[in-house]
Amino acid sequence: MKLTLYIWRQKNAADKGHMEKYQLNDVMEDMSFLEMLDVLNEDLILKGKEPVAFDHDCREGICGACSLTINGVPHGPEKATTTCQLHMRKFKDGDSIYIEPFRAKAFPVIKDLVVDRSAFDRIMQAGGFIGVSTGNAPDAHSVPVSKKNADLAMDAAACIGCGACVAACPNAAAMLFVAAKVSQFALLPQGQPERKKRVLSMVSQMQKEGFGACTNFYECEAVCPKQVSVRFIAKMNRDYLCSRVTEAVEV
Amino acid sequence: MILINYLKSTILSKFVMAVTGIILVLFIIGHCIGNMQLFIGRESFNSYAYFLQERIGELLWIMRIGLILSLIFHVVTSIRLKFLNLGAKPKKYEVKNYVKAKLTSRTMIWTGIMIFAFVTYHILQFTTGTIYPGDYNRTDYYTTNAMSVKKLGSDECCTKSREATAKDAIINYRGNQYETAGNHPIISERHDAYGMVIHGFRRPIVAILYIIGMILLGFHLNHAIQSAFQTLGYNNPKYFNKIVVGSTVLSTLIVLCFISLPITIIFGLVGGGV
Repeated sequence: MKLTLYIWRQKNAADKGHMEKYQLNDVMEDMSFLEMLDVLNEDLILKGKEPVAFDHDCREGICGACSLTINGVPHGPEKATTTCQLHMRKFKDGDSIYIEPFRAKAFPVIKDLVVDRSAFDRIMQAGGFIGVSTGNAPDAHSVPVSKKNADLAMDAAACIGCGACVAACPNAAAMLFVAAKVSQFALLPQGQPERKKRVLSMVSQMQKEGFGACTNFYECEAVCPKQVSVRFIAKMNRDYLCSRVTEAVEV
Repeated sequence: MILINYLKSTILSKFVMAVTGIILVLFIIGHCIGNMQLFIGRESFNSYAYFLQERIGELLWIMRIGLILSLIFHVVTSIRLKFLNLGAKPKKYEVKNYVKAKLTSRTMIWTGIMIFAFVTYHILQFTTGTIYPGDYNRTDYYTTNAMSVKKLGSDECCTKSREATAKDAIINYRGNQYETAGNHPIISERHDAYGMVIHGFRRPIVAILYIIGMILLGFHLNHAIQSAFQTLGYNNPKYFNKIVVGSTVLSTLIVLCFISLPITIIFGLVGGGV
């Protein structure tokens, strides 16, 4: 199939950047989106041009490294799918595809389609540790966890930290990411001792990183490749208010 | 300073948006139910207005102060959040497609600003009587059989102030000129809120502005009501879908109730005799 690509090119963080047009003539429908970009890059290298820089790692949809806003939707048109798991059969011959980096003040562009998502790492660091003993694995039944809470915690922990929620949000809010990371511990007994401090610290760090405020568009939930629910945002809001009122520690 | 400290936290700011929003929605529902008394008639509507203005005047002012404070916090917080959000996404996409965000949710700040402008105009017209004082300064006279009557002779008392009209009524009462056909002398008078609304909405421009204002309010509330639940943390898979539907139903009902007044009045279905 033939495709016209419009790709964001930006030499470095200081460069202004622009959209550039590329023509691809032999795209196979079984290629993944990233393989299609690999083909483009091989072609560019052969022509002695600078290949398009983009993030990728596992290409199995579990690492959260790939990004890309494809035709205005982070991770592209397919629901609950990362860019690496998106296949070209989802596009038609002759389609034009606009490929842009994830946009947010807290995600500065490093080069072309690669953005710096280390703000997420700093939020995770702000969350701190959980107070459990190290050493041998404890008996599976030593800490009872209800099935319902275990499932919910797993739903939250499904977040791969790709940043699509921030990219999709018109306010560049990181609420879905932070809510998932707060909730995965808040739902389990192991997360209880530091529960209040954790939500206050992580939300505080989220604000310091320059993410926006939630306006309940629910666009984050719609593009999340792991289908993390905005219910976790409501849960974090509850936790946050309760902790603000009851926790003595200044965060 | 503690009053504006909450602005530092985006989540606390959202709480303030939700709580002040709920207060304003409760007022809107009350206002809407109050307005519906116009369909019962002049007696009912004017006694309701009298009850608010004269009987519970102090309480009314406490409510008004609460509402004004809620509105101020709602507006100030929303503006501050809007600027924060614009700053958080300095570079927009060349191509942007929304999957789930609706037009109503994406235009909250704009519908909000337009509703604010409408409310200012609405208060100037119907609360202070600054716009169209002729419509506002109407008096409803009551006789010993307690029925609302028209002042004999000229119906137009509108150019005079309420005090002057009252004095007129007393002098003329002594002169026995203000009597109904049943010879019941005038014993009291009160502000004719009913006449004010009827005459106000007979002006097409007023009716059209009102209908536009209410549709914008409906747009705003459609997103706002369910959003307040989410912000305050009330999102449970069992009932959140119902809250979203309820938000649409309630906002639609509010719009229909409000715009039923100008529509019925302008077509002469209500208040024909005024």
